[in-house]
Amino acid sequence: MTSLHGIVEMDDRDLIACAQQGDRQAFTELVCRHQNGVVSLIYRMCGNPQQAEDAAQEAFVRVWQNLNSYKPQHAFRSWLYRIAANAALDSLRRERPSTDLDSLSLADPSTGPERSVEENQRTAQVREAIAHLSPPLRIVLILREYQELSYQEIAEALDIPTGTVMSRLNTARSQLRQELLVLMEEA
Amino acid sequence: MTSHVLEWLAAYHDGELTINRQRQVEQHLQDCQTCRAELDAIEGLSSLLKADPVPQQTPPQRFAAQVQLRLPRTSPPFPRQNADPLPRWVLSAPLALIVVWAFLQSALWITSFILTADWFLGQRIVLFNSWLASESLPETIGDLLLLNAALLVGTTVLWATWMAFWWTWKQNLGLKLSFNRIQKEV
Repeated sequence: MTSLHGIVEMDDRDLIACAQQGDRQAFTELVCRHQNGVVSLIYRMCGNPQQAEDAAQEAFVRVWQNLNSYKPQHAFRSWLYRIAANAALDSLRRERPSTDLDSLSLADPSTGPERSVEENQRTAQVREAIAHLSPPLRIVLILREYQELSYQEIAEALDIPTGTVMSRLNTARSQLRQELLVLMEEA
Repeated sequence: MTSHVLEWLAAYHDGELTINRQRQVEQHLQDCQTCRAELDAIEGLSSLLKADPVPQQTPPQRFAAQVQLRLPRTSPPFPRQNADPLPRWVLSAPLALIVVWAFLQSALWITSFILTADWFLGQRIVLFNSWLASESLPETIGDLLLLNAALLVGTTVLWATWMAFWWTWKQNLGLKLSFNRIQKEV
């Protein structure tokens, strides 16, 4: 077992290698490092924080179970996000997508009440517009806009050609622009 | 003015264009209002999307603990070795040793046979009219046995070294990984 200090200093590649030998401490460090990315990705897909956390935990369990199929020559993030995207889609199939009202009330307290209401409305509209996209378009958009993956990384994560990534991204953006036209003009 | 670059604007915004294409787009944007407006729209949409925050998440350590609770108690099988593969010459070393050993053994046995035949028949074969043939048979046989023993010991040492190397690699799944770990811990 590697010491805690050693683990924190290790890069992802070494952590994965240790986790592949059954080192749970190394795997825990990997989970901590990538929790934010995975939960955010799934949250953007399904729109419910609780559902996102649950699906993210499921995704990490799948990562643990499939660690031996990971090939180091590929980007870990792409591989991880592929599993996360599948977990999100499975979660969406199991439960109806919903927008959590609690998460909408998390506005910046420094702004006035009118501003908060306005922001919440805008946020709800954006989330609704994203939810209206078909899952293949939505996942490409989320990976690019929120997770900031390159086209190549998205292609690897979803196992599709780079050209398909570009065309899906263009379609998703066009649809969003049509749906959010009023908001964009206001901005 | 050159033709519009609308089809490249999304990739330009995402930083996915080649240097040459990027320069071409930048040059075009300086003069073209239509493309500039399209780029502004793409950037506006991106800002609008990013303005939507992700709700506060469970602290990482707690989240990781929850994941640990969901993991199966037994570790999944990890048969694959992801350590760097051994170089080809290392893998072919035992085969090379066997070939060398077999060749030298054959040479020794053939030599011994001819010399014995030569001694019994009392005929000198020109090929072996050398230091071997100049000595008496017992001395020659003794030399050959000594040579054979040295050969056997040498081959065994090389074989054992190779086996030790192989075993270490197999056990540690690559010394490199262990070395990296030690380095990080130090």
